[in-house]
Amino acid sequence: MVRKKLSSVFINSVGLIITLGIAFLIAIFLIFVLSSTPARTIYYFFIGPFTNKYYFGNMLNTAVPLVFTGLGIAIAFKSSIFNLGGEGQVYSGALIATVVCLSLPNANGYLGGALALISGLIAGSVLAGLSGFFKMKWGTNELISSFLISGAVVLIVNYFITGPLDDPGNSLLTTCAIAEQYHLLKIFPPSKLNISTFFGILSAGLVFFLMFYTHWGYEMRMCGLNREFSRYGGINVSTYLVMPMALSGALHGLAGGISILGTYHMCVKEFSFGMGWNGIAVALIAKNHPLGVIPAAIFFAYLDAGAKAAMLHSDVTFEIAAIVQSIIFYLVTAQAIYSFIKFRKRAPA
Amino acid sequence: MNGITRLYAENDVLANNNVDFEVLENEIHAVVGENGAGKTTLMKILYGLERADSGNIVFKGKEVSIHSPLDAGRLGIGMVHQHFCLIPEFTIAENVVLGIEPLKRKFFFDSERAVKNVREVNEQYGFQIDPALRVSQLTVGQMQLVEIIKILYRKADLLIFDEPTSVLTEQQINRLFSTLRKLIKIGKTIIIITHKLNEVKEISDRVTVMRKGRVVAVKKTAEIDERELSRLMVGKRVIFQFERDPMPPGGVVIELKDVTLREKGQERPLLDKVNMQIHSGEIVGVAGVGGNGLGELEDVISGLREVSGGVILHNAEDITRLSSLSLRERGLAYVPQDRLFRGSSLQSTVSENMIISNHHLFLKGGVFKKKEVQAFTDELTQHFSIDGDTKALIATLSGGNIQKVILARELATRSDFFVFSEPSWGLDVACSEFIYSKILEIRKQGVAVLLISSNLDEIQGLADTIVVMYRGRVVCSFPNTRDLSRELIGEYMLGLRDDYQKIS
Repeated sequence: MVRKKLSSVFINSVGLIITLGIAFLIAIFLIFVLSSTPARTIYYFFIGPFTNKYYFGNMLNTAVPLVFTGLGIAIAFKSSIFNLGGEGQVYSGALIATVVCLSLPNANGYLGGALALISGLIAGSVLAGLSGFFKMKWGTNELISSFLISGAVVLIVNYFITGPLDDPGNSLLTTCAIAEQYHLLKIFPPSKLNISTFFGILSAGLVFFLMFYTHWGYEMRMCGLNREFSRYGGINVSTYLVMPMALSGALHGLAGGISILGTYHMCVKEFSFGMGWNGIAVALIAKNHPLGVIPAAIFFAYLDAGAKAAMLHSDVTFEIAAIVQSIIFYLVTAQAIYSFIKFRKRAPA
Repeated sequence: MNGITRLYAENDVLANNNVDFEVLENEIHAVVGENGAGKTTLMKILYGLERADSGNIVFKGKEVSIHSPLDAGRLGIGMVHQHFCLIPEFTIAENVVLGIEPLKRKFFFDSERAVKNVREVNEQYGFQIDPALRVSQLTVGQMQLVEIIKILYRKADLLIFDEPTSVLTEQQINRLFSTLRKLIKIGKTIIIITHKLNEVKEISDRVTVMRKGRVVAVKKTAEIDERELSRLMVGKRVIFQFERDPMPPGGVVIELKDVTLREKGQERPLLDKVNMQIHSGEIVGVAGVGGNGLGELEDVISGLREVSGGVILHNAEDITRLSSLSLRERGLAYVPQDRLFRGSSLQSTVSENMIISNHHLFLKGGVFKKKEVQAFTDELTQHFSIDGDTKALIATLSGGNIQKVILARELATRSDFFVFSEPSWGLDVACSEFIYSKILEIRKQGVAVLLISSNLDEIQGLADTIVVMYRGRVVCSFPNTRDLSRELIGEYMLGLRDDYQKIS
C-alpha cells in the first residue's frame, strides 16, 4: 500500500516535471523570438530571483500572502464550496487592518498589531461568510454571490482610500502610513521578508491539522465529497456551507492585514489586486493540499520575481514578461487540473 | 468465441486469477459466484471497462484487443450494468441514441428521427414502450428494457447482463426472461451474471461458477442442480431457512400516523396516509414493487425528506421534523438502499466511511484519537470479515464489502430503531445470510426493525409483520405466519387486490 502511494506520488511529480520542462522550453522559445538579448533575458527570468538577497527575499515575501489565500481557497474547495470573492476579502482585510493601526497611533505594537490583524481577519470572514449564509438560507449560488459581493467591496474600499482616508501628503493614492511599532520584524534585510513568513508556515500547518485530524475537518471533507452521505450520517450539513466560507474569508482577510503590517505599511489603492485570483491558482497547483500550498505559492512568486527581474535588466517589456509568465502558469495549472480530474474519474469505478 | 485467459490484479487483490472463460455462439451463459468472486471484473474486461494484466480475448475466431466500451461496441459486445447508466431527464429515445445521435444538417439533433429509429428497434424485437417517455417516469423494469434497447440499437451480438434481476419483481423477471429467449431465437448470445440459482436453472444453457477469482466449474445447466451449484459457489452447503424465535411483543417504538408526502405539481401523493407501528423486538417487513412508495418511506422515516402531512412518533414523542442528526442522537440506525451515494462516500477511505455515524465518540477536544479510530475500524473489518485496506478508498472495494462496511458501521451505533432498505440487494448467499443473522440478532436485543425490501424471500423469512405498499398506500398488513401465501402478497403488491380492511 505504502509502495503504491509512493509510486502514485512519483507518477504525479514526473507529470509535473515534464509539464514544467515543456513550459520552460516554450517560454525560452518565446524569449528568443521576442527579445533582442535572449541570453540575458533568460538568465534574469529564470536565475534572476536567486542572484541577490534582495530579489530572493522579496520573492519569498510575495509568496506569503499567496500562502494565506491559497489555504483559504483549499479549505473551501475541499468542502466543495467555491469562494470567488478572494479579491474583495483581501482588500477589505487590508483596509480594516490599516484603519485599526491608524486609529491607535500610540498603542503597544504587539497588542495593536494583533488587534489589527484580527480585525482584518474578521472583515474577510464576514464578507465570505455572508455568501455561505445566503446559500444556507436561500440556496443562492456562493460562487456568484461571493464574486459579486467582492466586486462591490473593492469599489467601496477604493472610495475610502481615495476619499476619507487619503493621505494628502502622498502623491500615491493611498492612506497614511501606519505607525512604526506595527511594522512586522524584517528577517532578511535588505529584502522585505518579515516574520509573517512564519505565520504563513504556521497557518499551513494549522490548516493541515484542522482538515485531517479534527472533527470539523473530517465533517468538512465529508460534506465536500458527498453531502447526501454526510446528511445521512448525521452531520449538520448547513453548518458546512457557512463555516468553510468563513474560514476561507478569514485567511483572505489575514493575507490583506499581513501585507499591510509586513510589506506596504499603508493601504495603497489596488495594491492587493491579483492576490485573490492567484490564491485560486496556488490551491489548484497544490491540489488543495494545505502543505502543498507553500511550494505552490513559492513557485508562483518565483515566476513573478523572474518576470520583474527580466523587465529591469533586459529589454523585455511588461507585456512580454506577462505572456511568458502566463504560459508557464497555464500549463502547470492545466496539468494540475488534468490530474485532479483523472483522479476524480478513476475513483468511482 | 473461444478461450479467454487473463490475469488481473487490483489493489493487491487477484480479482481474476488465470481465468479461462468461454461462451458459445447463441447460448445463454450464466456466470455465478459470491461477491468479490471476480464475475463483474471479468465482464468489465470483456466490455473494455478494465484492462487485463495478461491473457487475451478471442472473439469470433479472431484475437481482439478491447481497450474501451467503444471497442467492445464496434465488435458487437454490449453490457447492461447493475446500476443503470441512464439520464433521468432525457426521453427514452434520447438516452438510446446518446453518443450516436442522428443529426439534422450535420449539426442539429434530430429528435424525430431518434424517436423513429428507436421505434423501429422496438418493432423489430417486439418491445412495447413509447420512446418519447421520460426515463424518470419509468419503472425499474422499463429502465432495464431501455438499457437493452440501447445495446440492440448499437447492433450488438453479445449481450452481457450484470445481475439483471436484482431490482425486478417476479413479473418483471418473467418478462425479462421472455425477452432474453426472444433474443436467443434471433441469434444473439447472452452472458448473465447472477446470484440467484433458480434463475440460472430457468434461463441458462450453460453455467460458469467462479470463486475467489478462479473458475471452479463449467457445466451444462441441465446436468447440475441448485444444491450442487451453491456448493460449488460457496464451497459449503447453504441452508435456505432462517430460525426466528418467537418474541413477546414489546412497546411501540416508532409510530407513523397518516404520514403523507406530496411532490409539487403532482396529483397523486407519493405517500398516502401511511399508518404503521413498529414494536420493540419486532421486524416489520415492507414489501412492494419499486415506485410504490418504498423509497419515499425510507427517506421520510430517516429524516432526510420532510413529510407534507401526518406525524412520526418515537417512544411517543413527535420526531416528524427532526433532522437526521437529532434522529441519530435519538437512536436511529439506517442501512440505505442507495449504498454508493447515500450509504458511502466513494472518494473517502474505508476508515472515514466507518466512523461517519459515530465519529463523535472518537474525539478529544475536537481532535480525533487516531489510535481509537484505528482500533475501532480494525475491529469492524475483522468482525465482519471485510476484505480491504481501511486506508484505501472505499471505491476500491467490491459491492458486497461496501455493504458490509455500512452494516458494520450502523450496527456499531447504539440504537433502538433500525431501518434496513434492500439490505441484501445484489449480495451473494453467504453475505445475505450473514446480514439476516445480524438482523435477527438485533431483533433479539429488542430493537425495532423496519425492513424495506422488494425481495419477498427476505420479507417472508425475517418479518414478524408484513406490510405491503402499493401506489404510496399501505394496502395490507398481516402477521407473518407460515400459511400466508406468497401469491396473496404478490397480488397486493401488484395492485390486483384492494380489499384489505384496516383491522386495528
